[in-house]
Amino acid sequence: MFSFAAPLALFGLISLPMIYWLLRVTPPRPREIVFPPTKILRELKPDEETPAKTPWWLMALRLALAAALIFAMAGPVWAPSGVVASSAPTLVILDDGWTAAPTWERRLAGAASIIESVARAGGPVAVALASESAAPVPGDGPRAMEKLRSARPKPFLPDRKAIGEQVTAFAHAHKAARIVWISDGVAQGDAAGFVRAVKESGAAGVEIYVENHAPRALAAPTNDAAALSVDVLRIGDDASAVVDALDAKGRTVGRAAVDFGGARRVRAKIELPVELRNEVSHLRIEGENSAGAVALLDARSKVKRVALIGGGGADEAQPLLSPLYYLEKALAPFAQIRTARPGVVDPVQALLAEQPNIMGLADVGLAPGETFDAVSRFVEEGGTLVRFAGPRLANADDGLLPVRLRRNGRVLGGAMSWEEPKALAEFDATSPFFGLPASKDVTVQRQVLAEPDPGLADKTWARLSDGTPLVTAERRGKGLIVLFHVNADANWSNLPISGLFVDMLKRISAMAGESAPASGERSGMVADPSAFAPMRLLDGFGALGAPGLSAQSIPPGFDGPASAEHPPGLYGSGEAFVAVQTLRPTDEISAFDFAGAGLSADILRAGGQLDLRGPLLAFALAAFIADALIVLALAGKLRLRPLGAATAALFCLLCATAMTTGETRAESAPKSAATQRDKDAALTARLAYVISGDAHVDEISRLGLEALTQALNARTSFAPGDPVGVDPAKDELAFYPLLYWPIVASAPQPPAKTVAKVTAYMKQGGTIIFDTRDALSQRVGGAPSPEAQWLRDLTKGLDIPPLEVTPRDHVITKTFYLLDGFVGRYANGETWVEALPPEPKDQAARPVRATDSVSAIVITSNDLASAWAHDKRGQPLFPLTPGGARQREFALRGGINLVMYTLTGNYKSDQVHVRDLLERLGQ
Amino acid sequence: MFADVATRAYDPAQRKPADGATAADLASRMPRLVARAHEIAASLAYGVHGRKRAGVGETFWQYRPFASGESAHRIDWRRSARGDQLYVREREWEAAHDYFLWMDCSPSMAFGSSLASDDKLSRGVTLGLALADVLVRGGERAAALGLTAPISARDVIDRLARALADNATESTRDELPPQAPIRPRARVILISDFLIDPDALAARLRRFADAGASGAVLMVTDPSEETLPFSGETTFLDTDGGPAFYAGDARSLRAAYARRFEAHRDAVRRAAQRVGFIFLQHRTDRPASEAALALAMGLLGADGVSFEERR
Repeated sequence: MFSFAAPLALFGLISLPMIYWLLRVTPPRPREIVFPPTKILRELKPDEETPAKTPWWLMALRLALAAALIFAMAGPVWAPSGVVASSAPTLVILDDGWTAAPTWERRLAGAASIIESVARAGGPVAVALASESAAPVPGDGPRAMEKLRSARPKPFLPDRKAIGEQVTAFAHAHKAARIVWISDGVAQGDAAGFVRAVKESGAAGVEIYVENHAPRALAAPTNDAAALSVDVLRIGDDASAVVDALDAKGRTVGRAAVDFGGARRVRAKIELPVELRNEVSHLRIEGENSAGAVALLDARSKVKRVALIGGGGADEAQPLLSPLYYLEKALAPFAQIRTARPGVVDPVQALLAEQPNIMGLADVGLAPGETFDAVSRFVEEGGTLVRFAGPRLANADDGLLPVRLRRNGRVLGGAMSWEEPKALAEFDATSPFFGLPASKDVTVQRQVLAEPDPGLADKTWARLSDGTPLVTAERRGKGLIVLFHVNADANWSNLPISGLFVDMLKRISAMAGESAPASGERSGMVADPSAFAPMRLLDGFGALGAPGLSAQSIPPGFDGPASAEHPPGLYGSGEAFVAVQTLRPTDEISAFDFAGAGLSADILRAGGQLDLRGPLLAFALAAFIADALIVLALAGKLRLRPLGAATAALFCLLCATAMTTGETRAESAPKSAATQRDKDAALTARLAYVISGDAHVDEISRLGLEALTQALNARTSFAPGDPVGVDPAKDELAFYPLLYWPIVASAPQPPAKTVAKVTAYMKQGGTIIFDTRDALSQRVGGAPSPEAQWLRDLTKGLDIPPLEVTPRDHVITKTFYLLDGFVGRYANGETWVEALPPEPKDQAARPVRATDSVSAIVITSNDLASAWAHDKRGQPLFPLTPGGARQREFALRGGINLVMYTLTGNYKSDQVHVRDLLERLGQ
Repeated sequence: MFADVATRAYDPAQRKPADGATAADLASRMPRLVARAHEIAASLAYGVHGRKRAGVGETFWQYRPFASGESAHRIDWRRSARGDQLYVREREWEAAHDYFLWMDCSPSMAFGSSLASDDKLSRGVTLGLALADVLVRGGERAAALGLTAPISARDVIDRLARALADNATESTRDELPPQAPIRPRARVILISDFLIDPDALAARLRRFADAGASGAVLMVTDPSEETLPFSGETTFLDTDGGPAFYAGDARSLRAAYARRFEAHRDAVRRAAQRVGFIFLQHRTDRPASEAALALAMGLLGADGVSFEERR
């Protein structure tokens, strides 16, 4: 719909008839020529009379010109989104929960267009975020835009109660206030209460806009013995979703597609081997960049391998009497259980060979010897030993126990005792079991007793109502020894058949594999020694990053909901961290029913408003130029030579052709020229860059490689020729050992034939450095930048080996200079190379590792060429980030290393050994 | 296509010399014209004449026997002393012709177009001066019609040029050759564009003929004047201040104009030939030496008898 900023200017249209009349009576002036034989001409009667008036089409052009000017002065605005220009005091409320994150840019654009329309009309406008409770301050457009630009989606769903009060206050403070709510369309976060507050606020106008994208989310991730599973939630009509399981480095380990099939909540199962599953650090819905679409996995959700060994002989006939039976039942939902096969001579050693995380010994005494040493070593190296009491253990104190045991234990409530069976006491706050309900049904008839040594209280995790320790534990080395002072079957206590037992084992299992927290960290937290400090937190887009200032520690047992104080993310330190999910396991998301609330929501279209002044003025200018040319032509004064005019027309045609079909030009290039170039390239090794089509980028590439060539000439024995730009579609690539490929997102993707050629080049041993040049703008784990997306699309057709971030010991960091990484114009981007084989464990650490061949692909985002490039006087052309001559030097060194790597391969990794050998020989 | 011919002439609005291609500043351009006239004359002297004589300066032609009644001082005693007979030394070119050159300096001559390198005035003056030099070298005498007496000096070019420059005033801007007194049997060479009434020209030529003169008429034409290479809405302004001519589309006049111009040229030719003048035409996009050669051959080679017109 059209609206005008200054409609009064339209009265200027009245003047059009007058302009028409004026134009009619003033035809263009004829050309004058002094001509001596005019006398002779005068004797001729002119065959053709001059047009007495201006031609009608010229008149139409001029009237259109005048009309365009008048319309432009009226300030027309085309608003396809239906945003009405209004000067009423406007409050723009932007939902900034994670639900808004996938469409954040579009939301900002929509909000900006609304702010612009209000500001253009001269009204005050304020921006309020749903997560904020501060009163919105109405101001002019730039101020509101500033606030808008600083807004970021939050990783939680804000409660709209506070903002509802602000809306009421705003409506009271301003007459005829207009409320614009750019909603995420989600009912959670008290949308109903907010709508009620808005309706009751007395605002003159309420407009609601939603985005055409319903969020999806993940909740309740579990990693149990069978599979890694997670709930996938949806609001909209998405038929399916793909859940990616990613490891800590962001590599996709596994994925599962789920079909909603009409349901709102579906469980996705990712089936992977346990080892791989334990590598998974988080799950993510593909294509959904929001905190809600990320589910974090912590140590608690790692599947543990548990080896179980019973003391007595397994009685197949009576499984209910076997202590292992209850343990297996309790552990099976969340752990992988290994038991010794019958007939094995030394079951403990046999099971230790399978490298379990937890070893459960049910009433097994360990006599000193090989087995005892093996178990000791297992504990020292980080294993968790869970022991259960029993007749054998009660009389054998073997040292692998957290406490010294008294002989024979005690019996409660038996025939020979007056005492009642004891119930459990509440768990201490320092106990790992804190938070579990101490069920009153659990009673203990018999137990082993600990000697009351000093420090016993610290080792006690659970105690009976009279204070006797029931579960004790002790850290030993990197590992943990836990002792249940009761039997693992139901003889001594009904604990093994209670639900509490499962929870306790779950907690122990979660702790297994964690290293002991350093003592300093614990003492540092005075307020709450057991609180977990924020480590890495999610932002609204679902990327993990450093915690902000407002994030606070969570108490143990914190189970949400995520909020501004406790954003979702990883809390704790080192290996021992816990995850706070964006959605609690039971959380639901559902669409808010605007119609039910008596409101209508419009789709917020991207693009917003279009100010037509520019196009109109451009048209007027073009019409003016055309008019001038036509007048000149009519007067015969336009002295365009026929040949010149034809050349100009041809040139325009060629330009248009070249712009529309770039490939035509490439194909029509003479073949002989390429051959000559190939000859040159074959005779002299030289660096090459891929012509991206963007002249600016290509110029940087050329200058950068020239500078690198100079540095190579000056510092190394490699003397490359002048760098060249190549077009993979057209040129032969085989002559270039190294291709520098800056990614330009606006360039079209190369055709399949070219991609096949590039693949062949990489297979033949060529190396391509892809430079996305976006280190400054990309976010780890966030939405991919356009350049990164372009590269992803390209590499879909390429045969790419597994990649990894360049390890410190990769040979590429040592080929000429010893480097830590590859910096360019930016220093924060990672450099990816072909993944090295895993480091063999049996060998001594080598200072440098390499693959058998040269990595065919190097991906960086640091914009290398811009850092290399300098002008003729050696002055750098581009400022660096963070900057400094040192960074420039290191960028150049990195470039030299890359070139040397492609030329020498893994030579330097051998060289290291030669040096070592020579040293030894010298001795 | 648009008109693509540029013209140089008077500024029509002010009627005064505009850009140096006019008669009034003829003086300033004269050195260049003189130099070119020398060049052309030299090329003619070496290229065409080729007379097998000892030199241009030799005046001896032949000895002839003394006829009785002749003045005794004409006897060449040195020759006569070698024999019994008396001889008279007869000199070559003793009966030198007087050539009266008229180079039109009227405003219409100051016209040139981008189709030719020179305007008509420059070309006409150059041709006239070169021809004067050739004539003087050939033993004749040359004069600027109405400006100087016949000159036989070697620096005839410079002297005629000075006379032209000194008299390049309003009074010389006559489109017809002046009625200056000429000697009998003199030759008159008229160089102009002859964009005048052919009848007036014929009357003036008859007067020359009546005075016993013969000669040549060289019609200098700019190419644009032949072809009218203009198009579009155009106002044509006359150089002599006559009424302007307005054409709605100059291109449509082209054919009719060409016919009319040809008719005018024929009229001029007839006027010339009727009184025994040679008619030559020259277009300024042709080399100047070409016209000079034609003039020289027409005047000197056959002594003005029969001459193949160059079309």
